[in-house]
Amino acid sequence: MILNFITMNGYGFYVWLSFSVVFISCAFVYFKTKKTLKKYEHEFLVELQTLTLEEKNKVLENSKVAQQIIATSFKTN
Amino acid sequence: MFNFFSITNIYLLIQKLIKFINSIFFLILLIGLTFALVLSPPDYLQGDSVRIMYVHVPSAWIGLACFSVITLLSVLNFIFKIKNFYFINKSLAPIGLLFTCLAIVTGSIWGQPTWGTWWAWDARLTSMVVLMFFYIFYILTFKLLKKEELIIKFSSIIAVAGSINLPIIKYSVEWWATLHQPASIKITGTSTIHSEMLLPLLVMLLVFLLYAALIFLMKYKTEIIRIKKKNINRN
Repeated sequence: MILNFITMNGYGFYVWLSFSVVFISCAFVYFKTKKTLKKYEHEFLVELQTLTLEEKNKVLENSKVAQQIIATSFKTN
Repeated sequence: MFNFFSITNIYLLIQKLIKFINSIFFLILLIGLTFALVLSPPDYLQGDSVRIMYVHVPSAWIGLACFSVITLLSVLNFIFKIKNFYFINKSLAPIGLLFTCLAIVTGSIWGQPTWGTWWAWDARLTSMVVLMFFYIFYILTFKLLKKEELIIKFSSIIAVAGSINLPIIKYSVEWWATLHQPASIKITGTSTIHSEMLLPLLVMLLVFLLYAALIFLMKYKTEIIRIKKKNINRN
């Protein structure tokens, strides 16, 4: 039964190849997108670090997005 | 009402949606794969090779749907200058390209056992390749051009020109004698696909839609952070 599932009555190569191509491509795009997102989050934090304490507080007070990015980076680190 | 569409609110919503999709994705993927690879019956003519349909058809549908949305938003953005549409399109185009390429590749793999060839310059296949090139040109405008006004102008032209290809793809199997079979699923009219195959197809479509939504949200979130980073520099 397992062998039958793998060979798919002679069509196994085509079926598994199709599913593999789809899942490998999707996984690649997912990890690349995630990496880019992390890179921008990191760059944002670095940019924030260059500000004076006063400027930093002003940005954090005015921007919920900035607060969220900092919160997310603390969670992941 | 308009406050709801502020970048901050959108960002917070994106965070929640990403979490939600991550929490249900693998369960639905598992159900979809079980249906597609184990529970769905083989076709009486094509045998088990029909299982390729469960990745090929949703890919093609999403590839077409993405370009339709891009065209609509490009036109609206060109007329009403809504900045959000620009970022939505920029985030959506790579997803459309990915799924169009996957539809072409999986279609080619399916073609070998079914038609006896990996490729034929058939009307449906050729029009899908044309769509892939429109996606590439569209994405290139964002990569090559620097001025936002120019990007909006050229990308809108490409989107509108590419939209002419969409009905050609849809009706190519009816207008010309093609190797590709006519549509089995019709919104208006009777579908010729059996429910035992339709259900796995719909579950796999849901899996692909969730994946597309996840990538779109991550890309859109990246765009928002990029804007916020620019704003820090301005302050």
